Amino acid sequence: MPKKSCPAIIGAGRTKFGEHYEKEPEKLIEEAGLKALDSVGIERKDLEACYVSDYFLPLTNKIGLEEGFLSELLELHVPMEVARSFSSAFMNACNAIIAGKYNLMLVGGFEKMTDRWDKIRDDLMMLEDPWSYYAGGTPEANHELLLREYIKEYEVTGQQLEKLEIALAQISVKNHLNALKNEYAQFKRKITVEHVLKARKRAKGMLGLYDFAPISDGATAVILASPEVAESYTDKPVYVLGSWSATDYITFPFREERTGFLATKLAMENAIKATGIDRKEIKILEVYDQSTVMEMIALEDLGYAKPGTAWQHIYESCQDFKGYYEIDGTKIYVNLNGGLKADGNPLGATGGAQIFEIFKQLRGEAGERQVNVGSSCFGCALELEGFGTKAYVHIFGRDAL
Amino acid sequence: MSSEPIERRVAYIGDRLRGSRCQLCGKEYFKIRDYCGNCGKKSIGKMEEIDLFYEKGKLEVCTLINNPTNKFKKIGRFIYGIVSFHKGKIRIPGRLTDRIIRNEEEIDFSSLEGREVVPRFRRRYAVKKSEIIPTISLTFTFADEYYPHQKYEVAKPNREYDTPGIVGYGVYVSKFRIKEAFMERSVPFIDEDAITAAVEAGKLALIHSGVDHRLIGKIYVGSESNPYAVKPIASKVAQVLKLGEEDSIDGVQGVDAVDTEFACKAATSMFKDAVSLVYYPKSNVEYAMVIGADNSQAAPRGEPGGELDFFVGYGGCCFIFGMKDVIAEVEGWYSVTSDTPDFWRRDQEPYPRHGGRFTGDPAYFKHIKKASQKLMDKFNLQPQDIDYFVSHQPNINFPTKVAKELGFKEEQFMPSLQVAKFGNTYSGASPIGLAAVLDKAKPHQRILLASYGSGAGSDAYLFITTSQINDKREKQKFTVEYQAQNQFIEYVDYAMYRKLKRGLEA
Repeated sequence: MPKKSCPAIIGAGRTKFGEHYEKEPEKLIEEAGLKALDSVGIERKDLEACYVSDYFLPLTNKIGLEEGFLSELLELHVPMEVARSFSSAFMNACNAIIAGKYNLMLVGGFEKMTDRWDKIRDDLMMLEDPWSYYAGGTPEANHELLLREYIKEYEVTGQQLEKLEIALAQISVKNHLNALKNEYAQFKRKITVEHVLKARKRAKGMLGLYDFAPISDGATAVILASPEVAESYTDKPVYVLGSWSATDYITFPFREERTGFLATKLAMENAIKATGIDRKEIKILEVYDQSTVMEMIALEDLGYAKPGTAWQHIYESCQDFKGYYEIDGTKIYVNLNGGLKADGNPLGATGGAQIFEIFKQLRGEAGERQVNVGSSCFGCALELEGFGTKAYVHIFGRDAL
Repeated sequence: MSSEPIERRVAYIGDRLRGSRCQLCGKEYFKIRDYCGNCGKKSIGKMEEIDLFYEKGKLEVCTLINNPTNKFKKIGRFIYGIVSFHKGKIRIPGRLTDRIIRNEEEIDFSSLEGREVVPRFRRRYAVKKSEIIPTISLTFTFADEYYPHQKYEVAKPNREYDTPGIVGYGVYVSKFRIKEAFMERSVPFIDEDAITAAVEAGKLALIHSGVDHRLIGKIYVGSESNPYAVKPIASKVAQVLKLGEEDSIDGVQGVDAVDTEFACKAATSMFKDAVSLVYYPKSNVEYAMVIGADNSQAAPRGEPGGELDFFVGYGGCCFIFGMKDVIAEVEGWYSVTSDTPDFWRRDQEPYPRHGGRFTGDPAYFKHIKKASQKLMDKFNLQPQDIDYFVSHQPNINFPTKVAKELGFKEEQFMPSLQVAKFGNTYSGASPIGLAAVLDKAKPHQRILLASYGSGAGSDAYLFITTSQINDKREKQKFTVEYQAQNQFIEYVDYAMYRKLKRGLEA
């Protein structure tokens, strides 16, 4: 791919994730957007287009024409489009830049889930998988069923099963640990494996409160530019080397593959193929840990661990945790921002927080969280919509291809 | 607020568990599809509808829903998982019903996974009282527990009779019971009501009769506990059981469906209509179905009408009438009516009122005795000419007393007396008594049935069993006795009984 085909992120901003009781949804994205613009010294009026995302503001906040709110607030009349996830907006923005349509864009995402606290689980499940909802499913249930399928498929029993359960708990513990250094994180609190196990006991299931990402409010934004324009603003752009998506059936039980996500596998395969990068060179991963199970299977679906083995690598890596998982000699840093579990999961904004983290890490601006991965500096973000119904994989690098 | 069109579409697929199969490659789908993903365009017109409603599935994986979504909160904790059919060709989400999971209970999922399950027709979830009641069959129970799996096989009739009669029947009572003093009573699970009992009874009657569901030309459902004041139960039964002709998948069945309501004789009243209809050559109705189903209503104890709360049960009973392969011919009938208001419920009132002692002599006894005696006189019969006597059974004493006063002996009326096992199932009460007799009767025996409906009236019928009663018996495992003495019956206390009885009304 010629260099001019790699869009570049030149600025990023976000709000803290958590409950923003006092703020309207559009004020959240305004905050994130202005921070992103400020970070690179761009004026609102310089933007050629804005692609934003929210998963279900029309439902949670009865906001339909999101673009109109933004236009009014920013006093901008440029093209604006709304997508369902940050990654969807982001991929489409990349495509627009690659096509040469725009040179400077804002990609943003916002969500305000706490405004609909009492009905949010019904909404989430109804949108995620309606037949499962009609049958009595909850947003947590599909994760648990996937885990049941996984342990049956790979015949994980007895002591092995106990180890797997602890490995999942360690994912949560690790993500809470990472979030301690993230000023924007929803939960800045250290937890232990015992906390996770106790919560599972309370829930009477294989997963408990600490296995799942929370309900969050928040917004994120990045400034995306064509490579030529990027270089005029910054000498540290982060290039989008590849961005791909794939789609799977809405109803989880209908899928052929139920021990992982086919969409993730396809999106990653295609992204890898498009960039020509060896996945072992990608050391910084932000994966979609809506549950601890999802982080585990992401390592398999993205091709880092063989099917049925990710938990063993996690378990071993966490015996004396050094900040990374070690899989067959490769060290990978996963969810340095604390992941969805601890950073928060305001659906439409979540992908932006993942990209924000990779942007900061690749630029060496992640402060306390900064990891040193040497010269080969690639990052990968995996965002899902629904329960693996859509998967987006983006691969980032310091240098354009 | 639920959306009626969405409810209707979900119910159409979900109530009956409809799917499609590609005739070219055999790929199967849950839901109706116009083409197969493998075969593409050439499969258009080659997709056949498949039916999982009478099939046995397998619980593949499961988990416990400890904290349901809002709409399912009233159901409480439940097991939820993936159910497969046809060796995994179809997989669907499903909830296990008929299980009360107590707080202290530990569930070992692996002990449940891999077991066979049967689809059950239930309420989907709680809605406001003003809304359409959503139903679904993505609810299952284990095939080796209370409700056995039974195949539905359409049988080609062997014999045509001169006199119309019963060609099959089915009884459904839930597995939950409350036991107080001399009586056990059936208690609906929280997701059951008169509609679900009517569907279950109808399903069992189709299985027993072997009648092709498409040949049922009329269905009557008698109930006094229809959760709707306006909207029939019969239309739901017709749709779920696919009664009558269905020439395209537009979801409109070629059947006449109607509800009746006359206290506890709402169903028996229609026996004669069903019989007449199948007998009349120009009716084009080969078979007619009559269901009596009630989640018998009673005010809580201590409130007006609360005395009924000691007697009410839950269940449904269905009879299919026709001229072919009859198991009990209808010899004749006699009905009586007077305006004797011993039991009533005014519009908008939640529970019926009861006429106290007024309900005995001038009501129950007077009407049943008159109808039975008149019918026996008409046919010149003495009590000893009758093998079994079945009457309405609101409690144990009334049917015993009326049978004795009419001159019947214990061996004639005891086999029908089921109230001590199931409680008063209102419209289903005397029909369940009749079914219990048919479960046991030999060929060529005479049965006298006398129902009673408060308000007041009684229908007396004479039946004579045929030799085919024995032939069809093996097609019904879920007999009255099986349901009365099942090892999986679960007893609940009064507090749980009231909770279950109230059901999913928000």
